[in-house]
Order: sequence, then C-alpha cells, then structure tokens
Amino acid sequence: MLTLENLSKHFGGVRAVDDVSLTISEGEIFGLIGPNGSGKSTIINLITGLYVPTAGKVTLDGWDLTAMAQHERTSVGVARTFQNIRLFGNLSVAQNLWVAQNGHEQRRAHFLSRWFKAGGEHAPDVEELLRFSQLHSKRDVQASALSFGEMRRLEMARALASNPRVLLLDEPAAGASLEDGQLLAERIRAVRDRGVTVLLIEHMMELVMGITDRIAVLNFGRKIAEGSPTEVQANEDVRAAYLGSSHKKEKLIHA
Amino acid sequence: MLLDIVQNTLDGLAIGSAYGLLAIGFTLIFGVMRRLNIAFGPSIMVGIFAGAWLHSQWSAGMIPVFLATLAGAVLASAYVERISFAAIRGDAALASMASSFAIWMQLEEAVVHVFPGRTYAFPTLQTIPMLEIGPVFLRPEYLAMFLTAAALILLLQWILTRTRFGLEVRTLADNPEAARVSGVNVAQVAFLTFLLAAVIGGVAGFLIAATDGQITPKIGLWATMKGLIAMVIGGLGSLRGALIGGLVLGVVEAQAQWFLGAAGREIVTYTLLFLALVMLPSGLAGRADAGARTEALRRL
Repeated sequence: MLTLENLSKHFGGVRAVDDVSLTISEGEIFGLIGPNGSGKSTIINLITGLYVPTAGKVTLDGWDLTAMAQHERTSVGVARTFQNIRLFGNLSVAQNLWVAQNGHEQRRAHFLSRWFKAGGEHAPDVEELLRFSQLHSKRDVQASALSFGEMRRLEMARALASNPRVLLLDEPAAGASLEDGQLLAERIRAVRDRGVTVLLIEHMMELVMGITDRIAVLNFGRKIAEGSPTEVQANEDVRAAYLGSSHKKEKLIHA
Repeated sequence: MLLDIVQNTLDGLAIGSAYGLLAIGFTLIFGVMRRLNIAFGPSIMVGIFAGAWLHSQWSAGMIPVFLATLAGAVLASAYVERISFAAIRGDAALASMASSFAIWMQLEEAVVHVFPGRTYAFPTLQTIPMLEIGPVFLRPEYLAMFLTAAALILLLQWILTRTRFGLEVRTLADNPEAARVSGVNVAQVAFLTFLLAAVIGGVAGFLIAATDGQITPKIGLWATMKGLIAMVIGGLGSLRGALIGGLVLGVVEAQAQWFLGAAGREIVTYTLLFLALVMLPSGLAGRADAGARTEALRRL
C-alpha cells in the first residue's frame, strides 16, 4: 500500500537517502533499521512532506504523496510520531486528540461547522482513543503536565486521531526501559489490530525483531537488506554495517 | 492629587483596553506566523477611513460606520497577508517584515491620495451625558470602549480555548511541525488568524477614532506603535501579557499626560518601553512564557 519508488534525498553532496525502493503491505508491521545517520528519519520526513525528495516518489494506494501538502497527506491517511515528543503542551489531553482529527471525514465538514464547532473533545472517537491509550483519567490535564510515558502514549493516540491508514513511528522506545518496551510492543500490535499499517523506526533491537513482519536495513542512505527478522539477522552485510566487518561472525542480538 | 490619579487611572484603563486589543492583534499574528506584521496599524487606518468616508458621504450612523471600519480593516489585512506573508513562505521572517513595511507605506500613500486633507471627522458617542460616580467622572465613550474591549476579549477567549479554530491557532503557536503532521492546514489557519486580528484591531481603531472624533492617516503609525509597545511590555507572544501591557501603557500614559503634558507623555512611554526591555525581558506576563519568547525571538 505504501510504496517508495527510487526515493533519493541529497543535502548538498550528502546522499542522506539514495535510491531506496520499498513496498509496505496493508496490515504489516514493517521495521526500518540502520546505524545512526543511515537515513531512516529522512525517509519519514520524505513520506510526511517535511522534505521534498531529490528524486523518486512516495505513493499510498496509488496516491502520489509527494505531490501533496503536508496536511493533505494526513487526510489521505499518513500519520507519524516524533523521536523527540512534540505535543501541544498548552492544550488538554482530549483537545490534543480533537485538534488532530483531520482525516477524510472531518475535512468534508462545512466551513463554519468545522471551524467554530466547540466541545469536540467529548466526541465518541476521542473518548475511544483516550481509553485505548489509558489516558482517560487525564483527559482534562494539560499535555505538558503528563509523565514521559503518558506523553508518548498521547502522541501515538494523537497520530491515530486522524484515522490513518499508515502510522510512522520514529523511535517510539527512545528513553524507555526494556519493560516499557514490552508494553510498547503490545500497543503497537493493538494499533495494527485496529487496521493501521505500521512503519517502525527503532534502535531497540528486541522490539524490532520481536514484532515486525518484515524489516529493511539502511546504511549510508542505501537499502542493504530486506526480509523477515530472521533473514535480516543472518545477513552478512547487516552484521558488517552494525558491528564492523571484523565482527561478522557474532550474533546481531541474543534474542 | 489622589483624585486626579484615580481619574487618570480610569481614563487610562479605557484607552489601555484599546491598546490591549491592538497588542492582541499583533500577538495573534506573531504567534501563528512567527513574524511581525508592522502593516497592522495601517490596515486598521484603512478601515477607519472607510468608516469616516461612509459617515461623510451619507452621514451614516454608528453601526454602519462600525461595520465599514471592520470591513476596511479586514480587506486591507487580507491584502497584507496575501502580499507580505502568504507569498513569502518559509523562514524568511525578515523579508515578510520588510515587505509589510512597504505595504504600510503603500496603504498610507493610497489613503492620503484619496483623502488629501489633514484631518477628517469621525462620528462620536459624545451625545450621551457624562457619568458621575461620586467625585470622579466617567466619559461614556470611555465606558463603551472598556466594555466593548472586555466583551471582545471574552469572546476571543472562548474562541481560542473552546472552538476547533482556536485550538488550531494554538497548535500553530505551540508546535508548527506537529500541527502540520496532525493535518492542520497552516495556510488556511494563518489567513483566518489574520482576519481575526483585523477584526480585533478594527474594533480598537473604531473605538479610538470614535473617542477622538477626528482622524489623520498617521493613525496607522500610531496604532502600530501603541500595539507593539504594549505587546513588548506585556511579553512577546502572550495574549494575557498583551492585554496587561495595553492596560499598563494606557494608565501610565494618562498619568504622564496629566502631570507632565503631551511631550512628557511620549518621554514616559518610551522610557517605559526601555525599562520593560531591560528589566523584564520576558514581559509582565512573567517567567512561564520566557521559553516561548526565546523561541519566538529565535525564529524572528
């Protein structure tokens, strides 16, 4: 459903993303891994429209995302979270969710009813998301007053509020312990079970290897491997990229 | 003496509420765009002249004049937004500011061209008798000014905290990148915010013109200066600060005018601005907004 076709992004002479092609299927949890600076976050920024690609394009069910403005990509079904959490700190938890309801249905509402509607933070789908993210008791708290874990949950819920077809998670386990990682894995599966395809960028290998259906590995902006977690772990190039060529025989992780 | 101070404070609060509206208009635009629209005052001036024209041509009553003032301010602001802000995107904040200065000159020259005289009459509310509360007097147009400003601020408060539009405005002021990926249509919200600011500024301009009874094209410069000073005193980027800054500026000016005369008033005003910048760099709204202000200044 989400396809990257020969996608490239150069910053001056640096090829941050270099001719990457990927196809992510509906209902998949797809992992995107690679050493620091390998181009993972650049790919997310290309999909969501913060960057304009140097070459290639991104399509979602045949829609050319690269031709759309950022907010239009949201309304056709792309949502993301940030590595460094970006909430609307002055808004309440429930308002953070309401204001992010920018999916296709909301866009078609009449101008006046869309803009000057009040009290939408009590809408049923906001309530549902609050329960899904276990934030119901915090619904009227300012987002900036939440704990770190709650902020992460709210950010994911906010991404889900636009009814996305694909959710891009940029290092959702950053700063989390291993136990938090397990809870996160359950939550990501629950998101997939809502019918949302997931693209996961993550450093915590236990998480990636444990929940993804397929993985692509980037190094220096190029895709060096793609396949199931087992296939990727067995790949010589991947080991070399992560551990240096002298460590090719060590296991990538002790799973 | 004490009675004078009380009387000046009352008058100052009334004028100050109009300054507060001007500062709120600046702050709304600055919050959403991260850029300063110095043509804000001149856009209001266009509205005021539209009202004065309607009054002189058909001796229109207060309500049509009020509506014409708002319409003129909104149209001029929409023009400024299209030319100086929508057309100049990205991080070119200084380009927008410089271009809004050019539009300011353009609007002022256009108005001077159509209205070549020095001053023009604006209808006033002075037909209502003066109110006496014990020893102090309350000019009816001041009371109207204060009440209108208060009502408008309450309405704005409701819009910003309860309606979807208001929340989207705040997401843009808060975290533009997150707002974009949450599907907020930045261009549309920015445009509507400009129009909202124009309505608020138009109300302030109308109240001031209806109090003075006469207007000159320099009222644009005047409105920009008062609004900017009030905004800086209150703390850049904070709406509450803008209102407080406006009230403080109004009261200080009224006292200075009474005790020191018109020239003294100007000296006191700019001393106040200087002191605010040196001693309260994050404004009267205080520490909580300091981070936001640093961020705002960095982007500016």
